[in-house]
Amino acid sequence: MTTEHSPVVEFAGASKSYGSVRALSDLTVSLHPGETVALLGPNGAGKSTTLDLLLGLRPPDPGGTVRLFGGTPRKAVTAGRVGAMLQSGGLMDGVRVRELVGLACDLHPRSHPVDKVLESAGIAGIADRTVGKLSGGQEQRVRFALATAGACDLIVLDEPTTGMDVSARQEFWAVMREQAAQGRTVLFATHYLEEADAIADRVLVLHRGRLLADGTAAEIKNRAGLRRISFALEDGADEAALRALPAVTDFDLSGRTVRMRSSDADATMYALYQLGLYPRDVEVAHLGLEEAFLAITRRAEEPGADQGTSGSTDHGDEPGQSRGTGREAAAV
Amino acid sequence: MKTLIKLEILRSLRNRKFLFFSVIYPSALYLIIAGGADDAKLPGMRVDMALYYMVAMAAFGAMTAVLIGNSEKIAKEREQGWVRQLRLTALPGRGYVTAKIAAVSTVSLPSILLVLVVAAAVKDVRLEVWQWTAIALCTWAGSFVFAALGVAIGYLASGDAVRPITMIIYFGLAMLGGLWMPLTVLPAWVGDIATWLPTHAYAALGRAVEEGDAPHLQDAGILAGYLVLFTAAAALLYRRDSHKV
Repeated sequence: MTTEHSPVVEFAGASKSYGSVRALSDLTVSLHPGETVALLGPNGAGKSTTLDLLLGLRPPDPGGTVRLFGGTPRKAVTAGRVGAMLQSGGLMDGVRVRELVGLACDLHPRSHPVDKVLESAGIAGIADRTVGKLSGGQEQRVRFALATAGACDLIVLDEPTTGMDVSARQEFWAVMREQAAQGRTVLFATHYLEEADAIADRVLVLHRGRLLADGTAAEIKNRAGLRRISFALEDGADEAALRALPAVTDFDLSGRTVRMRSSDADATMYALYQLGLYPRDVEVAHLGLEEAFLAITRRAEEPGADQGTSGSTDHGDEPGQSRGTGREAAAV
Repeated sequence: MKTLIKLEILRSLRNRKFLFFSVIYPSALYLIIAGGADDAKLPGMRVDMALYYMVAMAAFGAMTAVLIGNSEKIAKEREQGWVRQLRLTALPGRGYVTAKIAAVSTVSLPSILLVLVVAAAVKDVRLEVWQWTAIALCTWAGSFVFAALGVAIGYLASGDAVRPITMIIYFGLAMLGGLWMPLTVLPAWVGDIATWLPTHAYAALGRAVEEGDAPHLQDAGILAGYLVLFTAAAALLYRRDSHKV
């Protein structure tokens, strides 16, 4: 049934609509053993729906299929091959942390000892506390303990670090890396681009229910096609001439420092030298993943690019969203 | 699965307020209704008020604890997303339903026993030992049916709707089943409906014992049928639940 090479997760033409809202549109993607994959997208992009289908919490619309380890999601869950941490996974109240984790261990067909699970989730110290009286970060750790109560092959995390402070977040990812190092496949949904950039070896960009990009973080950055160029001109600058440089999409002059974005950095730099100027401290760099992400999603929203996906997506709480200028994508 | 049952029972016992009121409430109602009654037989029946209401209130109290206890709690747990988390484990649907029935049944048993004790102490109800035992066991076992119904309602309704829906079913079943007043004082058509209701069969179990008979097979059969129906529905709804969190 399952061979070494078969995908861990296989979406084939999977869609999901809630009434007239199409939350996920024709998703076809496979995840392979040992990959650490980030599912990246703003709120409302379809991340949670994707994970719900993957875990068998909801069926895909007719026509699409979701398979885990070559079988149904439920079969994989029953066999204990999947550990999952849900975004709003409520916890049973009125019980102690140890009792709850003990329950998860008991229900898992290939469980670890309770003490080991508590230890590796970093909650051994609060094992006797009542579940209802934990802080947000502690609750997340308990959820993580529930997800790792047994030896699973796939770990699914829906926005796992929400509500954690910076140090808790770092600790969390350190633990997660250990899990990945043991050969587990990890899939996590996030809207923190820096997490996707730092942790994932593959990034899926989801926007309005559609898969816009699939590649390494570097490939995604490349795909945005933009470079950031900055330099200083000691003799002052002729702004009009600089603005007229080829492929420039974004221009900012403050004092003697010029910052611009270019869709073809080679051509821009060549033309700059041809003006007879001598720029100093030249830097040409990729956009950050964050900016690349904005460029890709904006492009998808341009007229003609969007094939009738209905509903608007709220980007309000996307980190760094307000820094986007909008011009970059319009000019790509 | 055993761990879940154990945890659910533990949670019920730790919820002191729910425990206290669920245990006290049926006995208090019994005293209010049957407290001042003389020992005249009820019209068309072989039992008097003290006996009739002993079984009726034990049944009503047990049903209150298990039906309301389950439906509201489960609707809340679904909203909080705990049930989603549980569905990501190997736990089968029937395991979840069994645990929920077990949890509320630990509360209903003391409430039933208290009604019997109060009836004996305050209203001088005297029965054979086997009758006391049979009434307690039948009333307790019968409450499982309503515990399963509570789980199913907790899945059918959510949010603000769960309480009114539970109340309609709860009062409807209690009244039409003859838990509040003997069916002999109600119109005949009510009696025709009641024959097929789980509440009627439920109270009939204990009343047959009071009259010195064994519980009627038909009543036991009706209750068993409802138990299977409600449990299957609850387990199916648990598996299929697509409540958006």
